[in-house]
Amino acid sequence: MKLFKNRTFLLFLPVAIFLMIPFYGFIHAVIQSLGGEGLAHYEEILSSERFLSSVWFSVRTAGIATLVSIILGLGFTKFFHPLLTNISPRLMVWIPMLFPHFVWGYMVILMLSETGWLPQILAAAGWLETPSNFPVWTRDPEGIGIIITYVWKEVPLVILLLFPVYASIRPEYYALVDSLGGNAWHRFTTVDLPHLLPVLVETFLIIFSFTLAAYEVPALIGTTFPEMISVLGYEWFYGSSWDDRPLAFAAMVMTSLFLLGLTLMSYYGLSRPRWRAMRGDRQ
Amino acid sequence: MTQTKLEMKNITKTFNQDTILNDLTFHLEKGEIMSIVGPSGSGKTTLLRILAGLEKPTEGEIIMNGKEITKQKANRRSISLVFQQPLLFPHMTVKENIDYGAKVSKKYKAEKIESLLEATGMARFRDHYPSEISGGQQQRTALARAMATEPEVILFDEPFSSLDPSLRQDLRYWVRDFLASRETTAVFVTHDMEEAMIMGDQIAVFENGKFQQIGTVETLHQSPANMRVASFLGGHLILNDHEFVPLHAVQLGSQKTSENGVSFHASVEHITYQHGRPIVHLYIRELEKKISLPINESLPKQEVQVTIPCDSIKTFSGEIL
Repeated sequence: MKLFKNRTFLLFLPVAIFLMIPFYGFIHAVIQSLGGEGLAHYEEILSSERFLSSVWFSVRTAGIATLVSIILGLGFTKFFHPLLTNISPRLMVWIPMLFPHFVWGYMVILMLSETGWLPQILAAAGWLETPSNFPVWTRDPEGIGIIITYVWKEVPLVILLLFPVYASIRPEYYALVDSLGGNAWHRFTTVDLPHLLPVLVETFLIIFSFTLAAYEVPALIGTTFPEMISVLGYEWFYGSSWDDRPLAFAAMVMTSLFLLGLTLMSYYGLSRPRWRAMRGDRQ
Repeated sequence: MTQTKLEMKNITKTFNQDTILNDLTFHLEKGEIMSIVGPSGSGKTTLLRILAGLEKPTEGEIIMNGKEITKQKANRRSISLVFQQPLLFPHMTVKENIDYGAKVSKKYKAEKIESLLEATGMARFRDHYPSEISGGQQQRTALARAMATEPEVILFDEPFSSLDPSLRQDLRYWVRDFLASRETTAVFVTHDMEEAMIMGDQIAVFENGKFQQIGTVETLHQSPANMRVASFLGGHLILNDHEFVPLHAVQLGSQKTSENGVSFHASVEHITYQHGRPIVHLYIRELEKKISLPINESLPKQEVQVTIPCDSIKTFSGEIL
């Protein structure tokens, strides 16, 4: 028994060591952000207009991109999942995942910027007077370009994550709801949603954490004000003044803590037995 | 006064080129229970799904309380279906599952849920999740959920087939009494003749997409319509396409026992015990048939003579109803 326990511990060791690396980075960032001055840097950024508007812009943009991706991905999976069992439609859906986000962002610029293909085509077709009448969707203050890029890129990920769940739902459940007198809404809320909910929560957390803090897409098609938190952090880190470095660390430490808090809330927010039951676990 | 609750007229269902249901007609009085019995894969489930409105018949009509409902959708029909698997919602407790049936059909009454919980013996387990109760309890909860919609007709699709035999026996009688006490009209599908006899006032033998015969147990046993019915019942020795003998008339001996009769040579294959009596399993080579007969003392011989008195030979009635 003792041997078994030791061995379990040994098997766990590589994971533990691997997890220590980001943990070390985080602790180091915390130390750097304090910079021997207590919470002074935190107070500074929390009273900075630039930081606060960046936080709001980031949460808003990432939140919209995540929700829209999930809604579109969910709809697509619901209606097309029988097709996805075939290899070629499945490949077609998942190909966007192979490209780096940077490439996808560049493609959005090529297509949707004021000199892009879509405005040109619309103008040529006579739908627009000149291509410059096309709304500003890239490097715009509303973050539309960022949202479009992320939605386009993350919908396949949502499908990838939801497809196995849909494939595992037994069709008899829909027949059951019908025979009890339920309609399409009942089918969705009592059969689909309980099956999907744990995966949907996880999907939301993965995409939201990524889009909130990722750098390349907002750096490519975002504006300088308001800017995403990652862009601001980068500027503070590599800016002309070394004094701003602790601010970058403070901003990233707060972002990490926020995401950690959000994750813990999601996991403990749902009642435990229901969560277990939805996953089909026994006691 | 009896009134026709549910009627099926000339229902035909084809999938691609295959005819699954071929011109089926039957009717059920209020409070009557009909068992439909047939081999697995014979299309019994399709028949139930058509009655429930989950599938459309290719031809024919379904009439309930004198009104045609063939085109009505499943959720508009006052018909509930209990499936082979309990299909309880895993994220809802026992009580929430039953509540759900009542709420979705807009027939929620707190007292009704309580009485269903009591009647199914699930009151103690009301706050348990499906994964925490046994298979029999799950199936009872599924029945309570179906009953909570106050259906005029309730359909059962082999609801006990996933349970172990001792539990199955208890639940059969329990469901039978439950339905009888509420005068519920029901259709009960099974592949097990014994279950069909316990559950149904009437038994419909279903094979090859057709009702081979519909009637009470007595009618079926005394005058089976054809060879298929007789062989499914298992209580007869089939002599040829039109003639059969009830097994109780078959005599065994080392020699021909009756002058006025037909005799066959049979080999003893096995002896088993059932209901405390020895049963001999015989193979009649000439007819290529196997029969099982209760005997009083053990047969020492490997070879016996089976004698059938001429006056006990009957012909198939050929009448479906």
